[in-house]
Amino acid sequence: MTATSRSQLKCPTCRGPVEAAAGRRTKVFPFCSSRCQLIDLGRWIDEEFRISEPADQAGGGAESVNPGGDRE
Amino acid sequence: MWYEASLSEAPLQMADTTVRSETSESDYNADSITVLKGLEGVRKRPGMYIGDTDDGTGLHHMVYEVVDNAVDEHLAGHCDHIDVTIHIDDSVTVSDNGRGIPVDMHPTEKVPAAQIVMTALHAGAKFSQDSYKVSGGLHGVGVSAVNALSDWLKLEIRRDGKVYYQEYERGAPATEFKAIGVTDRRGGTKITFHPDSTIFKNVTQFSYEQLSQKLRELAYLNSGLTIAIRDERTDRHQEFLFAGGIASFVADLNTNKTVINSEVIAFSDVRDGITVDIAMQWNDGYSEQVTCFTNTIKNRDGGTHLTGFRQALTRSCNTYATNTKLLKDSLGGEDLREGLIAVISVKVPDPKYSNQAKDKLVSSEVATAVSAVVTEKLQQYLERHPKDAKQIIGKASLAAKAREAARKAREMVQRKGALEMTSLPGKLADCQERDPSKCELFIVEGESAGGSAKQGRDRAFQAILPLRGKILNVEKARFDKMLASQEIATLITALGTSVGDEKDFDKLRYHRIIVMTDADVDGSHIRTLLLTFFFRHFNELFERGHIYIAQPPLYKIKKGKTELYLKNEQALEDYLLAAVCHDTRVVGQRGGVEATITGDELAAFIRLVNQSRKMRLQLDKHGDGRVSGAFAEVGLKPDDLRDQAKLEDAIVRVKAELTARHGELGGLEFELRQDPEHGTWTARAPSGLYGVRRETIISFEVASSPEYHELRRFMSDLRKALEGPFRVIAKGDADDGGATAGSADEVAIIVEELGRKGLQIQRYKGLGEMNAEQLWETTMDPEQRNLLQVRVDDVVEADQIFTVLMGDLVEPRREFIEDNALNVRNLDV
Repeated sequence: MTATSRSQLKCPTCRGPVEAAAGRRTKVFPFCSSRCQLIDLGRWIDEEFRISEPADQAGGGAESVNPGGDRE
Repeated sequence: MWYEASLSEAPLQMADTTVRSETSESDYNADSITVLKGLEGVRKRPGMYIGDTDDGTGLHHMVYEVVDNAVDEHLAGHCDHIDVTIHIDDSVTVSDNGRGIPVDMHPTEKVPAAQIVMTALHAGAKFSQDSYKVSGGLHGVGVSAVNALSDWLKLEIRRDGKVYYQEYERGAPATEFKAIGVTDRRGGTKITFHPDSTIFKNVTQFSYEQLSQKLRELAYLNSGLTIAIRDERTDRHQEFLFAGGIASFVADLNTNKTVINSEVIAFSDVRDGITVDIAMQWNDGYSEQVTCFTNTIKNRDGGTHLTGFRQALTRSCNTYATNTKLLKDSLGGEDLREGLIAVISVKVPDPKYSNQAKDKLVSSEVATAVSAVVTEKLQQYLERHPKDAKQIIGKASLAAKAREAARKAREMVQRKGALEMTSLPGKLADCQERDPSKCELFIVEGESAGGSAKQGRDRAFQAILPLRGKILNVEKARFDKMLASQEIATLITALGTSVGDEKDFDKLRYHRIIVMTDADVDGSHIRTLLLTFFFRHFNELFERGHIYIAQPPLYKIKKGKTELYLKNEQALEDYLLAAVCHDTRVVGQRGGVEATITGDELAAFIRLVNQSRKMRLQLDKHGDGRVSGAFAEVGLKPDDLRDQAKLEDAIVRVKAELTARHGELGGLEFELRQDPEHGTWTARAPSGLYGVRRETIISFEVASSPEYHELRRFMSDLRKALEGPFRVIAKGDADDGGATAGSADEVAIIVEELGRKGLQIQRYKGLGEMNAEQLWETTMDPEQRNLLQVRVDDVVEADQIFTVLMGDLVEPRREFIEDNALNVRNLDV
């Protein structure tokens, strides 16, 4: 992690600039607006945020496919 | 509409008045008595004709009525300037530079046409009052209504080089209509009137703001027409002239706003005799503001023109987005209209309204006309301005997402809101304590670990929420890990603060929120997801220091009856060395003299050996790490490569070292070459011969690498500490006995083996391998546990970490996780 200036702070949803003066965060931080925060929440609810890894590394193969369900 | 009652005038150019003038001739001829009765009617029921006489609406409409007639002159192409003056006695003058009202004699009435205009309530006698409501309304009743409701009115007309003048009182002529002078100015009409105070009550003074607002609108709607207003009571004055018409209107409405499409979209066309003028521009706000006009009259509640506009807007944008493959799903109308500022102005020959205030246009043919024009013109615009189009569609799709997200969030919050505290999620094992500052919430990965945690906890103040990451196999190629939406709902409920706009941190139910996950990759992924979710939607938790990470042990050591938990590899190494090094001595050489090390000194020596071993593994990236490592061990410095003799000398020592350590490998031969780029020599050992695993080149680059440098330093430190041959004398060995070792590596292996003797070492793969008691002792008991508080002081850094983790690109994200995220220290900055 290299140090970055505050001006580079970007809203996770729209990539627009986010206001965050040193030590002061807005109510919707780290977003630029409650709108963008809401969209993000919707994406969590839709399970859009995922961490992916190739099937071979996850310890399971193609055999353990169970689309739409949990993997034990 | 000066000419509506005119009998001799040629057909008018303005479409809507043409229609009426055709019928007016016979109507007014036929029955002039009812016309006069009509004016009496106006005074009896003024509200019917001019609007509310009590709240100022009617009062101001008096001015609009007169101005509208002048504007019609402009539309007919004969007037480009209108002056409105409010006098100190709240009388008002409206003057224009149009043609002037016709002054010729009415053939049958035997009065000047102008007088008929002023006294005849046009068509008033003809229609029933019901139909009046629809077609007439406030405007178009004619200036005669204004005359009837004024206690005095002065009319001055310039026409054909003469000036005519007449005065009225409450609608009736007070003086004769006659020419009073001559002029060389162009034509025009000037009317000064004073609203009758017996009719208008309560609000009797004109509002400059209200009038100027309306006149400004009129100026926008009639580009090229100058409208000036002067208030003699205060000497305020303004002049409105907008060459850009309604496009200027939209641009002005968007002043100080961030616009989406840089230029106002404006177009105009005629369909079936209906003139459609539209200007529109999106800003980054959320509200829609579409202002509608019919024949320059504002329709507060919109109507068919608005309906047609909306339909066409939705359809055109969706057609465009689909054709250009900008979107898969279609956009809703309300999403497209978010942040839209538009002005719709239609000119309709015979408009119909839902009420007499003309608040809503109901002529159905207008919807068709507007829709057709917008569909054609907007489609054209979008195709010609792909950049703006993309911005507009992009904004609408964000709006659609937000609307959908809001709905889901609301559903989620409401679902739990109905239940509140009494029905916390079934999975949550809550604590007894109600004071949040004393309560802890353990978010535990996995059902089995959750079970152990529930048994092991102190139920007085510790709550347990088992959470399981959801894993999907995507196209058989990869596994996607995520938090199930049900888990997110559960989490929000358990925290008690709600989410979004209703979020209230005073309702937080636990002041310690402890994420407890397995020490494996899956666990770290779940933890990353959780922390990211908290970071984005409960950021205050970080700021207030409420977020912690539990540190379950990785090892359990059993020696006889004592048990010990160690949190990681480092702790294990420290423990093993600490115990054994006190009972073990290593004898070697230092500066040619026999020397012995033990205790902390020995432990430090072993650590150096282990570190150098790791560095040698790192060197594998430059070929065979054993070979390049040997150069570091004999102390070859990057600069030595400039000197062929020094390199050859190092090679001799390297071969001896490799022979001692690896036998056959010591037989390898190096090929020397010059590296003109660095002015050095390089030594190359080919792959395969003498067991060399990979082609290995000792170059300036390799010798300058951090891993080479580190290894050289470790080896130098090791040589300073103790040199071989070594003897390792364990507890109980004779002073001259013990195991012999040729290299420091061998010493380390022997010592570590001694350290493990009599120990049972268990490595925990997951929390589930610990029973309830162990989990309590090691991870949950406030007296013994080791919690890591997650602080995110550098918000930018944290944002970057999370953004990369949660980004759209799988590859960089994976690398990032491998490089950083497994290491929580990155968050603990």
